[in-house]
Amino acid sequence: MKTRTTLLFTLGMAAIAVLVGPASANKDPVTPQQLKAYDEVFMEQVRIGDLLFHGDAATAKKMNVVLTTTAMACAMCHPFASDTHPQAFPKYQVSMNKFATLRDMINWCIEKPNQGEKIDSDSDAMKALEAYIYWSNTGSVLVPGKY
Amino acid sequence: MSELDRERREMVAVLQRPGVHPDRSLRITRRTFIHRSCLTGAATVAQTFAWWPLLNTIDVAYAAEPPFKFAWVSDTHLYPKSVNTRFVEKVQRAAREVQAMNPPADFMIFGGDLAQLGRANELELGVELLNEVKIRKVFIPGEHDWYYDMGAKWKQLFDKPNWTFDHKGVRFVGLDTVTRGPDYWTVRKMSPEERMDHMATLDGSVAGPWAGVGRDQLDWVQKTLADWDKARPVVIFSHNPLYEYYPPWNFWVRDWREVNEVLKPYTNVTNIHGHVHQVLYNEIGSLRSIGMLATAWPWPYAPEGVPKLTKPMIRADPGDFYDGVGWSNISMKNDRIENEYIMWGRKEVFVQSPPDSSLSQPEILRPRIADQLGPY
Repeated sequence: MKTRTTLLFTLGMAAIAVLVGPASANKDPVTPQQLKAYDEVFMEQVRIGDLLFHGDAATAKKMNVVLTTTAMACAMCHPFASDTHPQAFPKYQVSMNKFATLRDMINWCIEKPNQGEKIDSDSDAMKALEAYIYWSNTGSVLVPGKY
Repeated sequence: MSELDRERREMVAVLQRPGVHPDRSLRITRRTFIHRSCLTGAATVAQTFAWWPLLNTIDVAYAAEPPFKFAWVSDTHLYPKSVNTRFVEKVQRAAREVQAMNPPADFMIFGGDLAQLGRANELELGVELLNEVKIRKVFIPGEHDWYYDMGAKWKQLFDKPNWTFDHKGVRFVGLDTVTRGPDYWTVRKMSPEERMDHMATLDGSVAGPWAGVGRDQLDWVQKTLADWDKARPVVIFSHNPLYEYYPPWNFWVRDWREVNEVLKPYTNVTNIHGHVHQVLYNEIGSLRSIGMLATAWPWPYAPEGVPKLTKPMIRADPGDFYDGVGWSNISMKNDRIENEYIMWGRKEVFVQSPPDSSLSQPEILRPRIADQLGPY
């Protein structure tokens, strides 16, 4: 009998919880305006990353980064960010002989082929470059670890 | 269906009718045999190896003529020495090696993009470095050579951008595929620097479909070939490939249909082209095309459109500046052209197994956005 009462009580509470929702449920559905705003934040980073990736000197100067000293830009070997394979990271990266992230790889390219100055892994420039590379490869299938 | 897809299907439908192909005179040479024997173990790995009469050996020469060699160098993309010495060193190496060819080459063709930003000092540096090559040299322009001063310096140094000559039974034609780009600069009041910067960005969205031969030049080609035996070899040098591979990077000429129309009666035409910085082979109608390496840097294969007949080159190591680049040693002997890619730092130019190829990892790519200027 006692078990039955407890069961009914529990079910009742659950039903109320489902119907009423949590006490703090004061959020609204996402609006088109919000979506637009979120997208704008992202696309602005893609745009900055695109400029850095294509060797735009003004953007690099503004962000206080030296991505090259050889006049090589990322896009000279990676048009449309091709052959960057962001979908394959993290992975063992032969050229570095270590388990590496995309950010590690970006810095390797800055330091080796471009002979520029390594940028901070959490810097705005790094995030913008990463945004552009990922955006440009949108739709590529994730294959982490692939050589 | 995308525009690109539609156009490519059209190219195949129009030109790849059953029985239409370049003169069937491919033969496997010793070099290819050695190569093939290395590969027997890998023969099962998919379409990479599906096409066997390799691109190395292509018959074009006239049997009665003596054998000869020529060298191809292109895409040196020189900056002034003060900016970048790496590209300079690679031109020096190519020049040294071309000059050291034994037996010597009869001539060297430079296939365009001598300069990176079209400046006079870049072009002059190229001339100075190639002075090391004492044999005859012929030049065609690349887009990087042209759009700073619209070819003024280039013409002063190398004269006409298109030309023809006969050599030991072969008619050679130098074609200009770069100077007829649509005018994107006048209305926008661009400086020469700005115009050049847009042209120098392979994946830029402003310069548009600049690669083309043009009606006037096609008429000239038609006239040039009019007195030539239709079965005898023609070799056409151009900066861009004469078919449609990947228009967003101008890996094509926009008027490939008309080009093919003009060349159709000739059964033995070989196009040797630069611009793509990669190993390529294709046959369109009766025209075969071979893509050449750059000395400056390799481009990755485009995400789509790589000709099925291409046996891809090895994935380059970006840590080795001499990898994936070089020049070509081309010989004509007993009715055949043999193209040997001199890829520095590699014994094997072609992929040996799928992981060696950048094509083994499919990618979907988007065009860039930051340089878009909107309509005129």
